[in-house]
Amino acid sequence: MKPGSLIYLTLSVCCIASIAKSASLLSKDPFLGIAPQDEKYYKSSRDIIICKDGSNKFTRAQLNDDFCDCSDGSDEPGTSACPSGKFYCQNAGHVPLSFFSSRVNDGICDCCDGSDEYDGKVKCPNTCWEAGKVARDKLKKKISTYQEGVTLRTLEVEQAKLAIAKDETELSKLKNEEKILKGLVQQLKERKEQIEKAEEAERLQREKEEKAKKEAEGEVNQDNTKAEKEEDKEEEKPMDSTHDDRIGILEDSPLDQDVAEHHDDSVAGVEHGDYPGNEGSPTNEIEQHAVEETEAFAHETGLDAGSEVSADEVVELGRDVSENNEALSREELGRRVASRWTGENIGQQTGEVHAVKENEHEGHEETPTDAHDEEDDGYASETDDDNQRYDDDDIEDHIDEDFGEEDHDDSSSSYKSDSDDESDFSDTTTPRNPSWLEKIQHTVRNILQAVNFFQTPVDKSEAAHVRKEYDESNAKLSKIQSRISSLTQKLKHDFGPEKEFYSFYDRCFESKQNKYVYKVCPFKQASQVEGHSTTRLGRWEKFEDSYRVMLFLNGDKCWNGPDRSLKVKLRCGLKNEVTDIDEPSRCEYIALLSTPALCLEEKLMELQHKLELMNKEQPRRHDEL
Amino acid sequence: MATQMRTPYLLLLILLLVLHLSLVFSWKKDEFRNCNQTPFCKRARSRKPGTCSLIANDVSITDGDLTAKLIPKNPQSQSQDEDQDHPDQDPIKPLILTLSVYQDGILRFKIDEDQTLNPPKKRFEVPDVVLPEFVDKKLWLQRVSTETIDGDSGISSIFYLSDGYEAVIRHDPFEVYVREKGGDRIVSVNSHGLFDFEQLREKKEGEDWEEKFRGNTDTRPYGPQSISFDVSFYGADFVYGIPEHATSLALKPTRGPGVEDSEPYRLFNLDVFEYLHDSPFGIYGSIPFMISHGKARGTTGFFWLNAAEMQIDVLGSGWDADSGISLPSSQNRIDTLWMTEAGVVDAFFFAGPGPKDVVRQYTSVTGTPAMPQEFATAYHQCRWNYRDEEDVENVDSKFDEHDIPYDVLWLDIDHTDGRRYFTWDRALFPNPEEMQKKLAAKGRHMVTIVDPHIKRDEAFPLHKEATKKGYYVKDATGKDFDGWCWPGASSYPDMLNPEIRSWWAEKFSFENYVGSTPSLYIWNDMNEPSVFNGPELTMPRDALHLGGVEHRELHNAYGYYFHMATTDGLVKRGNGKDRPFVLSRAFFPGSQRYGAVWTGDNTADWDHLRVSVPMVLTLGLTGISFSGADVGGFFGNPEPELLVRWYQLGAYYPFFRGHAHQDTKRREPWLFGERNTELMREAIHIRYMLLPYFYTLFREANTSGVPVMRPLWMEFPSDEVTFSNDEAFMVGNSLLVQGIYTERAKHASVYLPGEQSWYDIRTGTAYKGGKIHKLEISEESVPAFQRAGTIIPRKDRFRRSSTQMVNDPYTLVIAVNSSQAADGELYVDDGKSFEFEQGAYVHRRFVFSDGKLTSSNVVPNSPGKTRFSSVCVVERIILLGLSTRPKSALIEPANQKVEIELGPLWLRGGRAPAVLTIRKPNVRITDDWTIKVL
Repeated sequence: MKPGSLIYLTLSVCCIASIAKSASLLSKDPFLGIAPQDEKYYKSSRDIIICKDGSNKFTRAQLNDDFCDCSDGSDEPGTSACPSGKFYCQNAGHVPLSFFSSRVNDGICDCCDGSDEYDGKVKCPNTCWEAGKVARDKLKKKISTYQEGVTLRTLEVEQAKLAIAKDETELSKLKNEEKILKGLVQQLKERKEQIEKAEEAERLQREKEEKAKKEAEGEVNQDNTKAEKEEDKEEEKPMDSTHDDRIGILEDSPLDQDVAEHHDDSVAGVEHGDYPGNEGSPTNEIEQHAVEETEAFAHETGLDAGSEVSADEVVELGRDVSENNEALSREELGRRVASRWTGENIGQQTGEVHAVKENEHEGHEETPTDAHDEEDDGYASETDDDNQRYDDDDIEDHIDEDFGEEDHDDSSSSYKSDSDDESDFSDTTTPRNPSWLEKIQHTVRNILQAVNFFQTPVDKSEAAHVRKEYDESNAKLSKIQSRISSLTQKLKHDFGPEKEFYSFYDRCFESKQNKYVYKVCPFKQASQVEGHSTTRLGRWEKFEDSYRVMLFLNGDKCWNGPDRSLKVKLRCGLKNEVTDIDEPSRCEYIALLSTPALCLEEKLMELQHKLELMNKEQPRRHDEL
Repeated sequence: MATQMRTPYLLLLILLLVLHLSLVFSWKKDEFRNCNQTPFCKRARSRKPGTCSLIANDVSITDGDLTAKLIPKNPQSQSQDEDQDHPDQDPIKPLILTLSVYQDGILRFKIDEDQTLNPPKKRFEVPDVVLPEFVDKKLWLQRVSTETIDGDSGISSIFYLSDGYEAVIRHDPFEVYVREKGGDRIVSVNSHGLFDFEQLREKKEGEDWEEKFRGNTDTRPYGPQSISFDVSFYGADFVYGIPEHATSLALKPTRGPGVEDSEPYRLFNLDVFEYLHDSPFGIYGSIPFMISHGKARGTTGFFWLNAAEMQIDVLGSGWDADSGISLPSSQNRIDTLWMTEAGVVDAFFFAGPGPKDVVRQYTSVTGTPAMPQEFATAYHQCRWNYRDEEDVENVDSKFDEHDIPYDVLWLDIDHTDGRRYFTWDRALFPNPEEMQKKLAAKGRHMVTIVDPHIKRDEAFPLHKEATKKGYYVKDATGKDFDGWCWPGASSYPDMLNPEIRSWWAEKFSFENYVGSTPSLYIWNDMNEPSVFNGPELTMPRDALHLGGVEHRELHNAYGYYFHMATTDGLVKRGNGKDRPFVLSRAFFPGSQRYGAVWTGDNTADWDHLRVSVPMVLTLGLTGISFSGADVGGFFGNPEPELLVRWYQLGAYYPFFRGHAHQDTKRREPWLFGERNTELMREAIHIRYMLLPYFYTLFREANTSGVPVMRPLWMEFPSDEVTFSNDEAFMVGNSLLVQGIYTERAKHASVYLPGEQSWYDIRTGTAYKGGKIHKLEISEESVPAFQRAGTIIPRKDRFRRSSTQMVNDPYTLVIAVNSSQAADGELYVDDGKSFEFEQGAYVHRRFVFSDGKLTSSNVVPNSPGKTRFSSVCVVERIILLGLSTRPKSALIEPANQKVEIELGPLWLRGGRAPAVLTIRKPNVRITDDWTIKVL
């Protein structure tokens, strides 16, 4: 720039001039703020330069003359004259930056090389070397995380493939067993029905005989009749082996009820042994009872997720109907009115007491969620164990222990799932012995032969034997079916392009933030636990953003607000760990989950490339230091 | 058992409620008294015209005032008409009437009981509202003339009001009015004989003075004491004012032929949950000031200084058909009925004759709006709640990331430790000073909330101190009033008491308010006062204030005194050097002196967007210029389109703040996709671009009372088409803005008043005035036009915040009228101190005529103590509507030639139309200069 034009510029920016008497004037560099790749655009032009958007043209002297000629700002890359302009700072030693030219000479050092502040109002020291070093170190660290993470991820992917294959094998095996067992059950059922028919005939006969006597004696025991009627009804139902009807048919079986219950409570189930006999324990019943109680209560107070809004109104209405504020304590009235704005539930306090009760029952069943062994190494040890166990041909056992193992490894944040659709594996582990099926087949054959020629009066012990055998086989069948269904369910999920998220299935990640514990169970649900009350933040919806985000939607409803939801952002890390849970909008949660599954090779290369660039731009003078 | 019994019943109720969901969730109508449930209102409303038989006796001049005694004409027959509140045996005592005249056509009209007769109690007169300076403007009456008017049996006394007007008191029946000199009436009181004044008296045996409402009992120890009367406006096409109601600008009749059963306009400061968008019910603030305007006569004002509950009926034409009363000049007369529960008559007539005259007259009584800090006129970002320091930092940095300027970040109630104001939740805000300093480094400010309810917690020093000193409002039994609000059990300082106000003000010092820094300002919410478990969600009327004043007598002013005390606190904090900024929800006449108000908890729907305009316009008409509605709507989640439209409109509110309820989704401008971000950024940029213009208008309001945002008729008082238009408005005298209030609007009909053209501020396209234009509407902006003949100063460079724009150069946009002339003003000062009061400002007048633009001082340089210096220059002058095509311009006195070329009208938003631009004149704004177009 010629000295003459410099003076001209100086005059033109008198805003600055009076302050900056002794300091710098307009920048001495006529090409200030221009990115290297753009320099050609400005330098190759002659006297007249066209605005990049074609809206106008300007002379060379008008480039960076602190007056905006182009609406895209292309004539003023180095001043604040154009609001839509972009300023580029080279930041030698660090990464270059490009930002809004409104930041030029605004008194804030935006570039580490200080080139955005040249009017003398502030002095911006060049901090690029220090900042760049910090940034490079950070980048290096990130790269090393990625390097390790990529390896872990590869392992994970391999395992997932094996595990899926195993699941599929199990599934086909189970399907086969189901087929056989179904046949047997059908046979047993027919036999049982025969027996019952005979018994019924006998009973009718007996009744007829006793009727005369009993008429005199009085009334027939109604309860008996009722019970029998129900039994009859049950038997009238067509035998159907479809999954849906199972519970209906077997509603009297404590074992199967247990299966159903374990939809809510698989932790307990998994912890229990293999044998179905020790299930249906009082604990479960109490617990279920507690749940029901809470639900009933929730219905009134508005704790119930579904009817929360209307239930809340009930509170309002209860008051309005009575039209009597005196009935409420003044404090309560204050609370209620406040709750309109806050959405806090007034019934909550009592509700919480209830929840506590529920959890007291549950308490002793809860697995200690924290790992104790090999925290740091958890991931590796898990895989080792798995590999060994793959040799074992007992699939059920493997699955069982595999999941059990996960309780203890892989960082503190992982624990057993208490998922919805998880059925009780332990039940299906019963038929693990390959001879088990044969045994049943054998027994059934015997029974069928033995009672083939049944006659009246029915042999009581034979009948009981048949019934027992039928019940047991049927129970086993439904367990197999439920296992089939859960496996099918599981395999339907999208575990990622390389199945890298397979191991997330049946796992939950936990994070404690202040008074809350957050549980994120991929493919299932996410919840927030405060003391003894649990709020569902969402049900599994899907992956989003090319598997970088997990979405949980339709959680418990918020008063006057949306259903709760949770977005889990995934990032590369060596451990599966949930961090930083946040609720930026009411009832919309965001969490971070670091996982090796996100340590992608191509991203690693990108980072390495970035580091190379940063190293290349290291200014020489610093090298000499 | 009980549960089982109740369940089906409850289910049924739930079902019913779901059917009426909208009703249930909105305004809880039953919680608030209607006129029929309010004995004084019901009684006053049922009175027949002509019931008042008072006559003015002993009319004379005392101490420069005209005084008279009001006595019943015929005491014996009188008593028969009265109801139980006036027991027969009571002799009716005379009332004292005083009429005073003040400069500039203002008549003050007072009626009170005769203190020499020892009434049971002195009735409450609202202190600290009327300016002391105003009192000094009293004109001492010298003489009164009498005449017998028309068919009157008695005489009338007439005296001077101003050069064009006289005040008249008719003696029998008593009536007071203002008329044009020797001509038509403009405003009158008691022309329909509805005046009634319940004098305080002893309770009779067996008499029950208690009032019950929804389980609350008002002991009413002083019994009935209401006042009501009729006020008539002549030559009026419409009446306006009496905020705060969420309703139209021109007030609809509430009674009369063809009017559906309606409540009167209620003035009773209330915290109304989810208020309706079209209702005469009272909400957060009250200003009993009504303005009439008509094409024929002009503008008249009536203001009743009274802080008790008031109800005002606007009576539809023909309401008095059966009364047999016929008034002179009944053409275009609008009658109104004013009713209040307590207090005295202390009313003001403002003769006008123009809209700006009336506003000037009113603000000469109650004060002009305070000059705000410049940052406060920029964009504010609020939410209930920005939860912690990290949240604050995030939101702050996102604004930068998206190149959206903002000036103030707000913290709602949950930043405190358990809603104890003046404290911080240290888990969430461990380092409040540092947080504020970080914002301040970018020229930004912070506002925290301080409400009047103080948590009754023995461990809370403020509560302990207030209790010890006896500073709380007392309940009817004399104990500290204990109500319920955000912190739970709460008490309320008695802000009527100046000593307590000054104690409160001390709490804002940097030592007392730990964690506050000089860049922190204050927000007063819930100061109606809101009491969640009180009658109608407020304080019981029989609660007691300083000197035994009942809450009923000052209710509407409680928030005003609280606002005043807080503002004084900030002034004290800054040693009187830093202008305060305090936003209040409740207000009363005079609140304009203490800061800004907003329209409270509105809702995210199109109706609330629409009603925000008449609400803000009405506040401006009644002195409160610095106001706005929550952009986006407080309750609910606005669709992105609504939010964008709200930003586009809200950018022109005098007070421009985005705010949202805690249950709503986040709605910072960058959360709705790139296009919507761009649109909202653009809207906010418009505000920042126009900040010099806005600030100039704030100064105009500060000196004259004329509001920043004005109804069209204020600028075009003789254009009838504008009188009821409240969808468009003026910003100053140069800019007309039309809101878009419907979804997916493609067209809008915009009426552009006057004879001159209008220029679309985005496209520069000219439109003829005096016409309705059907315009195509884009998503990019709401229609806005610069009036031909005006000059608007802009700053086209955007920074992170307004404070960073201080030294940036100006753009002048000149839109010439049909005679190729235009003028405009620019006011600049340091934007924060009070030095402008000593003359430290620049106030330029730009005049363009005969191809010459000159800049001169509005006020010739006064010998002020301090001077304001600025290094700012004008970098660009845009010429719209010029009939010639000049190529260059000559700057005098520098004698320097600059180019005129075609440059962009806008510096942002893609391709802007090319307009005539004087390039880089670079003249200083502080200097006198002339630019001649060659």
